Amino acid sequence: MNSSSKQKKEYNVFTRIKRGDDLVMVGTVAAETDQLAKVYATFVYDEEDWVEMCVVPREEMTWIRQPEGLFEKWGDGR
Amino acid sequence: MTKGRDSFIHIVETIADNKFVLGDRLVEIGVGGPNLEASLSSIAMAQGELGHARLLYNWAFDLKGLTGKKQDVRDQTGKAFRFAGNTTDWIGLIASAYTINVSFNLVLQAMFEAGHTDIVMRIHKLLREQGDHVAYCRGWAVQLANDTGAVPRKFREALQERVAEARAWLVKLEADQELYASGYMKAGTALTARFDQMIEADVAHRTAAHG
Repeated sequence: MNSSSKQKKEYNVFTRIKRGDDLVMVGTVAAETDQLAKVYATFVYDEEDWVEMCVVPREEMTWIRQPEGLFEKWGDGR
Repeated sequence: MTKGRDSFIHIVETIADNKFVLGDRLVEIGVGGPNLEASLSSIAMAQGELGHARLLYNWAFDLKGLTGKKQDVRDQTGKAFRFAGNTTDWIGLIASAYTINVSFNLVLQAMFEAGHTDIVMRIHKLLREQGDHVAYCRGWAVQLANDTGAVPRKFREALQERVAEARAWLVKLEADQELYASGYMKAGTALTARFDQMIEADVAHRTAAHG
């Protein structure tokens, strides 16, 4: 499969164990389509019987604040 | 519901056999899948397929009126599609899994819609889980059909052979009037026509355009 044929997107995976609990980010998946991201998340993060589960394309998240890179002051932009 | 029972048991065992073989292939080939998510999902799906096979074998055991301890499943009963066991690479695996899941989903849906309590109870959870398997296979089938180089052509060739065998099985089911008359399957579900439509919508026209 030619990985260049379709760009993969990163998705954050959020779950809630039971009603009233917090919605928690449990991990990420990389997928070519939203549909595959849903399926990958379902199969990979199946350790609980989640009451809610969703995937959010990371690029769709609007950040208000993000931490600076730890070594930014030494010129390492990571 | 005694008429058509033999045919129904045959269907249940055919589905079980294919899931049994597919579960094995999903592990063997899926472990070397093209990316981590695809491999992990393939192995998780294999567990699901093997679980479904076990449930269906037990159901067939009950339908036959057998009593006592359920037998250990060590091998299929010989009703799996020919292509299922001959799958040796990722393209073939997706073509097999896609064909098996799409065709069986239609058949299981027709069983479910017949509304018989025992059938509904037996396959309700299975059908829900199968939805994820279908989504995985459709996602990958569309991806391979839209890939570059020789992949779309190879996928089309693998799919054509598999679809022909599964379609012939669906035609045979549709011709078995006793199955419908005895209430095992909902009449008028147009299995073959819907199977053709799904293949056409998901893969055929895309593959033709890229082939």
